[in-house]
Amino acid sequence: MKVKLLSYQPSKDVLSHLPAAKLSEKELLGHLSFTFALERISRACSHQLVRHRVASFSQQSQRYIQVRRLKTHVVTPQSVTVKAPEIFDSIIGQASNAYQALVDAGIPREDARFILPNATETSLLVTMDGRSLMHFFGLRCCIRAQWEVKDLSDEMLRQVKEAEPELFSGAGPYCFQLGRCPEGRFTCGRMGEVVEKYRV
Amino acid sequence: MRLTLIAHTPNPEAMIAAAMLTTTSGVKPSTIYERLQANPEKVGDVVSRLEVQHGSILEHNRLVWMLEADEQLVLDALLKTRFFTFTRLCDGGWLMSANLRAALEYSEEYGGDLGDSLLDSIGTVAPNLRCFSERKRT
Repeated sequence: MKVKLLSYQPSKDVLSHLPAAKLSEKELLGHLSFTFALERISRACSHQLVRHRVASFSQQSQRYIQVRRLKTHVVTPQSVTVKAPEIFDSIIGQASNAYQALVDAGIPREDARFILPNATETSLLVTMDGRSLMHFFGLRCCIRAQWEVKDLSDEMLRQVKEAEPELFSGAGPYCFQLGRCPEGRFTCGRMGEVVEKYRV
Repeated sequence: MRLTLIAHTPNPEAMIAAAMLTTTSGVKPSTIYERLQANPEKVGDVVSRLEVQHGSILEHNRLVWMLEADEQLVLDALLKTRFFTFTRLCDGGWLMSANLRAALEYSEEYGGDLGDSLLDSIGTVAPNLRCFSERKRT
């Protein structure tokens, strides 16, 4: 996985045109956008990303781009690597062979891709405004989030904090943002530990 | 009504071209963007012949304006598009922002003083996109 904050508009560029104290941080965040390149993540992960609807995505198209060497372009969960790599690798190998056979048989890429697994790597550009990013971090930095999208959002958070330390000083999972856990009966029960981690 | 562009994300046309090429090439988007930043001619070429009809490639940017206008104009704009963000700064003074897609579509569909001013801003930050839009209309 590779995450890179490609472009954003520094808040000082906007604030320099505004009289002091005219805008709350929340209001300002809605006027700023952040564009990331997210690379070599799984399709399972990108599917979670696109559920965040107040955002823009430009993703590698499997209609236009033929998947080559699938076996070396998949994301393998650690649990699989530890417990059952042979089952996983076997299915990936079969999917790879079947995909190639379909393409070789003249099946359009848009149809051949139906055989591809969720583990298939993808890369995309994503743009969110600051408010949407705060919501994204609230949900996806949570300890209950799926590991890949959590790793991704933690790295995105690290990079926006580097770019805009003051604006994102309160960013993190919702327990950190709100001072309470909104997960109800699904709470991890480790709020103190999580909050401490994001305070650093 | 007076619209003044005060800030925007850097090099929006390079990002438009990067978004377009990301969808259709196997090259990583960060590599594409890096290469395009050093190649304005290629950026101009790609943006001038936008082949992808998905407007989403125009959304990886943001423009911010100061708007001097009455509430009626702001309400009218909000009713026409939900992709503008407004913050009231004072009586008749607003901070407004949108991406190029929202600005371009408003300008093309509704015109008027606001649409014309938006088009001027587009011409400033993305001249090839403005030319493309004008060619499309004629």
